[in-house]
Amino acid sequence: MTDFSAFFDQLWIARFVILKGLGVTVSISLLSIIAGSLLGVLVGLSLVYGNRVARLLVRAYTDFIRGTPVLVLVLASYYVLSTIGIELGPFQAGVLALAIFCSSHVGEIVRGGLQAIPKGQTEAAKAIGLTFRQTFAYVLWPQALRQFLPAWVNTAAEMVKASTLLSVIGVAELLLRTQEIISRNFLSLQFYFFAGLLYFVINYGIERFGKYVERKTAVPS
Amino acid sequence: MGYTLNFAAVWRSFDQLLEGLLLSLGLAFISILIGTVIGLLVAFALTAKSGWVQRPAAIYVTIIRNLPILVLVLFAYFALPQMGVRLGKIESFVAVLSIYSGAYLAEVFRAGLISIPKGLTEAGLAIGLTLMQIRVSIIVPLMLRNVLPSLSSTVISLFKDTSLAAAIAVPELTFEARKINVETFRVIETWIVASGLYVATCSVLAALMRLVERRLSVPR
Amino acid sequence: MTVHQGNIMIISLRTSAFSLATAFILSAMPAAAQQATSKLDEILARGHLVLGTGSTNAPWHFKSADDKLQGFDVDMGRIVAKALFGDPDKIEYVNQSSDARIPNITTDKVDLTCQFMTVTGERAQQIAFTIPYYREGVGLMMKADGKYADYAALKAAGSSVTISVLQNVYAEDMVHAALPEATVDQYESVDLIYQALESGRADAAATDQSSLAWYMTQNQGRYKDAGYGWNPQTYACGVKRGDQDWLNFVNTALHEAMTGVEFDFYAKSFKTWFGKELTPPQIGFPVEYK
Repeated sequence: MTDFSAFFDQLWIARFVILKGLGVTVSISLLSIIAGSLLGVLVGLSLVYGNRVARLLVRAYTDFIRGTPVLVLVLASYYVLSTIGIELGPFQAGVLALAIFCSSHVGEIVRGGLQAIPKGQTEAAKAIGLTFRQTFAYVLWPQALRQFLPAWVNTAAEMVKASTLLSVIGVAELLLRTQEIISRNFLSLQFYFFAGLLYFVINYGIERFGKYVERKTAVPS
Repeated sequence: MGYTLNFAAVWRSFDQLLEGLLLSLGLAFISILIGTVIGLLVAFALTAKSGWVQRPAAIYVTIIRNLPILVLVLFAYFALPQMGVRLGKIESFVAVLSIYSGAYLAEVFRAGLISIPKGLTEAGLAIGLTLMQIRVSIIVPLMLRNVLPSLSSTVISLFKDTSLAAAIAVPELTFEARKINVETFRVIETWIVASGLYVATCSVLAALMRLVERRLSVPR
Repeated sequence: MTVHQGNIMIISLRTSAFSLATAFILSAMPAAAQQATSKLDEILARGHLVLGTGSTNAPWHFKSADDKLQGFDVDMGRIVAKALFGDPDKIEYVNQSSDARIPNITTDKVDLTCQFMTVTGERAQQIAFTIPYYREGVGLMMKADGKYADYAALKAAGSSVTISVLQNVYAEDMVHAALPEATVDQYESVDLIYQALESGRADAAATDQSSLAWYMTQNQGRYKDAGYGWNPQTYACGVKRGDQDWLNFVNTALHEAMTGVEFDFYAKSFKTWFGKELTPPQIGFPVEYK
């Protein structure tokens, strides 16, 4: 198996490059999840509690974002923004695109979580004299949080997978690093497979974490 | 600064984009159809009591869901031939997207299955139906109605995943858009039009699913 | 800023929503500032060149084992940086895919792009090309132990031959110019077309002779050249339109690398990436006028 030893030789040569790519992939994912979740909570809240106009606008926003492939969002963020005078580097533009993508998903998750709570609870809270703010903070939000935490963790795994698309605008994340290595040694099969393995390990870790959260937050039955 | 939008070059190739969109829809339709069959079988396996049935299904779902689809697409097209499995571009992509949707749909269906009360099966058995009859004519229809909202978003995201077929030169919408980019360098205009087509298609899909959801919903 | 009346009309005929969106984007765009000084002065003041190129195509622009960008395109940029600052390393690289080459020039993300860019009339309307630095042609590579002996055998086999080629609008016509009946399979990247050849999906890979030469030297004995070349194309760097000073400067730097004081730099790079020795330009009457 000369192919195998050639692969391990090349893997050893490229070890730091792969680590660097992995680092960029992780930072893209973290930044876009954090920014996207903050924005997404706002989106979710406006979808549930906003007035008619706000709901309509935010609904249009999420439908548009969810209807566009992430690749298109990434390219638009990098090129279209710069023609209207907003200059972003590829990393920033890519993270922005992924954060927007993430926000539409988190928004839907938050909306789903809040709407799954029976109306009677709000009425009951009102009956015992809680203000809306109190109702939200002590009754609705904790329940919604329990409902959407597992889904939110899944979104994180989606973001890791979507980060591969930033390679198209020249962000040196794991996939572009892999392609750079392949362009030097042409071991495309082995290195794509290895990259897949790394992505699997990251995402499987996230998934296990999600299951853990699900268990922790589950209502004891 | 001073970039002037010019859609003329994109409109000249608009038919190409539409043909690409049709192919995207075709790829998604066939793959999701096959994926639904896989998803149903796997969902029943996932809810099975026997570990011998449940575990392989769980491994399949875990592996597929945690891999970027691009890796699967490249693997199916370039690695499988070396092992003697030769599929054409479209067939290979449809196979990948079917297997990929199978894993996602299995999760959706599993959630639906566990929400169906056990009593139904018992009632079915009591009136003399076989387990298969109960599944096909009682459980699956009920489960499908329950999972329609999450099914809708899964279907839409699977449709968007057809854009990755461009990586192995299947001439769907994204491939056609990239081709026009290389030809005209009107990158911004091309992506505005292409994403418009994607959004419109997804909206139609979402509206259709909502319609089905409303027609099938249990009157409250 | 000019608004092309005709285009707006076409758009509004198609759909009013698009013309609204266009009008919005156009009005949001500040009027293009008159270029008071040349980009040349700007770059000199900044102290480094911003060069757009890729990182995944050997031997043009790719990463070395120690993660440094290298290749013939990269060396062209280094020649310009050396002319600017006396130091070929004063470069900030912008990593871009092929379809980003022209947008990145027109949106000022780079000063200069050297990325095996073929000169065409349509592209020359959008950016200004420098003088050429290489003349490329297409070749055919086959497996050394493959079914077909050479170009004549491929041509004789007609439609039963499959050719893998880089995705391009002209790809189909390009292959058919040499092999009129061959089946054409288009791929996104060079490694995929080689992979197609290696896995037996394609009988020959058609791509730039420079890339084939590089691949064959990297994989001694496994592949062979079909012995036919066609489809000449000119490679040049590109800059933004409307800055003659900067264009002149880049032209001068490249010209002197191919004919004058920096010839050794160019010749060394040529030898490294294409494996061929260049004969120095003849002394005396300038080669340009021969």
